[in-house]
Amino acid sequence: MAKRLLAFSDRTALAGIGYTDFSKNSGVSTLTLACRAILAALDDAGLGVDDVDGIATHRVGDSVPPSTVGPALGMGAPTWYLDQFGGGSVSHSVVGQAALAVAAGLAETVVCYRAINARSEFRMGTAASPGMEAQYQVPYGLAQPLQHFAMAARMHMIRYGTTAEHLGRIAVRQRAHAVKNPRALMRVPITLDDYLASRWIAEPFRLLDCCLETDGACAVVVTSAERARSLRRTPVLISAAAWGGGDSFLSGASPADPTVTAAAELAPRLYGQAGLGPSDISVAMLYDCFTYSVLVQLEDYGFCAKGEGGDYLEESLPFNTHGGFLSEGYVHGLNHVAEAVSQLRWEAGDRQVPGASAALSTSQPGYVLPATSALILRRDS
Amino acid sequence: MTDRDSAAWWERVAEGRLEVQECSRCGTLRFPARAFCPRCRAEDWRWRAVEPVAEVDSWIVERRTTPPTTIVRVRLARAPHVVMYGNWRAEREPSPGERVGAVFEDGPKVNWVPRP
Repeated sequence: MAKRLLAFSDRTALAGIGYTDFSKNSGVSTLTLACRAILAALDDAGLGVDDVDGIATHRVGDSVPPSTVGPALGMGAPTWYLDQFGGGSVSHSVVGQAALAVAAGLAETVVCYRAINARSEFRMGTAASPGMEAQYQVPYGLAQPLQHFAMAARMHMIRYGTTAEHLGRIAVRQRAHAVKNPRALMRVPITLDDYLASRWIAEPFRLLDCCLETDGACAVVVTSAERARSLRRTPVLISAAAWGGGDSFLSGASPADPTVTAAAELAPRLYGQAGLGPSDISVAMLYDCFTYSVLVQLEDYGFCAKGEGGDYLEESLPFNTHGGFLSEGYVHGLNHVAEAVSQLRWEAGDRQVPGASAALSTSQPGYVLPATSALILRRDS
Repeated sequence: MTDRDSAAWWERVAEGRLEVQECSRCGTLRFPARAFCPRCRAEDWRWRAVEPVAEVDSWIVERRTTPPTTIVRVRLARAPHVVMYGNWRAEREPSPGERVGAVFEDGPKVNWVPRP
């Protein structure tokens, strides 16, 4: 194994994962979803609420804070907590910060959750982009993350010849994975023709380019690698956690090139922490709010050269084996982390990538808030 | 939706003027309107009229509205680092790199038309 650059690498682990059902209408409160996912993750790890001394989430005014969830579960006063503002782009930084807290000794066991009724209560797809730039966009009807991604996808098409068929191939492949995933909301196979026939949303995006607004929650348990080895699941080590990177695509003195995401800046730091490179990654969970975000991250995380994402799909590594946000459900990032954990424990059932040893899991690559976050996870050997 | 940094910019748009801030120290043109120059961090600036001509970077056709709405992303010809968004005012779709001109509409808004 290559030399690791940070003392932090591999010192913490994911010891448990938990989900609620994914649906279009949960019929329960966001608080209920959070509690169910947390209890499921603790049960998976073989731990109880009393074992938890840290709690973390992220939200954009759409969920319940740790200060509500902790007491609701009868959790004692946390020694560490995080209530991070932000949507998809910070989904993995929450886990990374929990790992830092554990590595630094601020907490022993942290539960990270994301709970949203993103279909029945808070329509994620119609949420306005945060930030002061909105006043220069909303008057023209440009208000949603979907539209910013579509604008960037068109630029990629113009510059590199990326096609609708390339995007469609991503949707078709992820649906094929979801067919094998009992948790997935969408389990009917689709073809490229189905993709091309799906209705326009915002050209160049069709309906099947878009993820599913979902009611649901997901939670993961972060603890020390040492402690994880004493628990009942195969530990999944956090080899790297990075966040930041990227300039605004929307405004500023020199707005970034929208065909290159914040992931391009972050990737070398992430791989460097882990002492691994793209060729060492067995399976990737790439933030797929839209098909295009998968394609551009295949480039920016170094699996192929810039502009070659479309052609690379023919030979790509396995990605989004749960069906992703396009077909499993959209819980804003933690369900990517949880699927990576399942793959590395070799517990992914029909979806298992044989012998998976290292996984990349990523967050929204910077088209809304100008930053991203990602993890490299490794099966404990 | 304006803020204390941007209100004066929108007032100019309402009067049909396309102006951006110019840093009094280093001369950098900047948009959106903000207090500090992001290059030299000076706080002094003045309004500078810019030619209302731009090039099309990209566009989307929003199909959930009736009729569909075309939204363009453009860069000013004389200040290519200045990105603006607006509605496309033509029967056909834009083309990549096309030169376009600003039109001022009620709202206030800056929209874009093909340049003859």
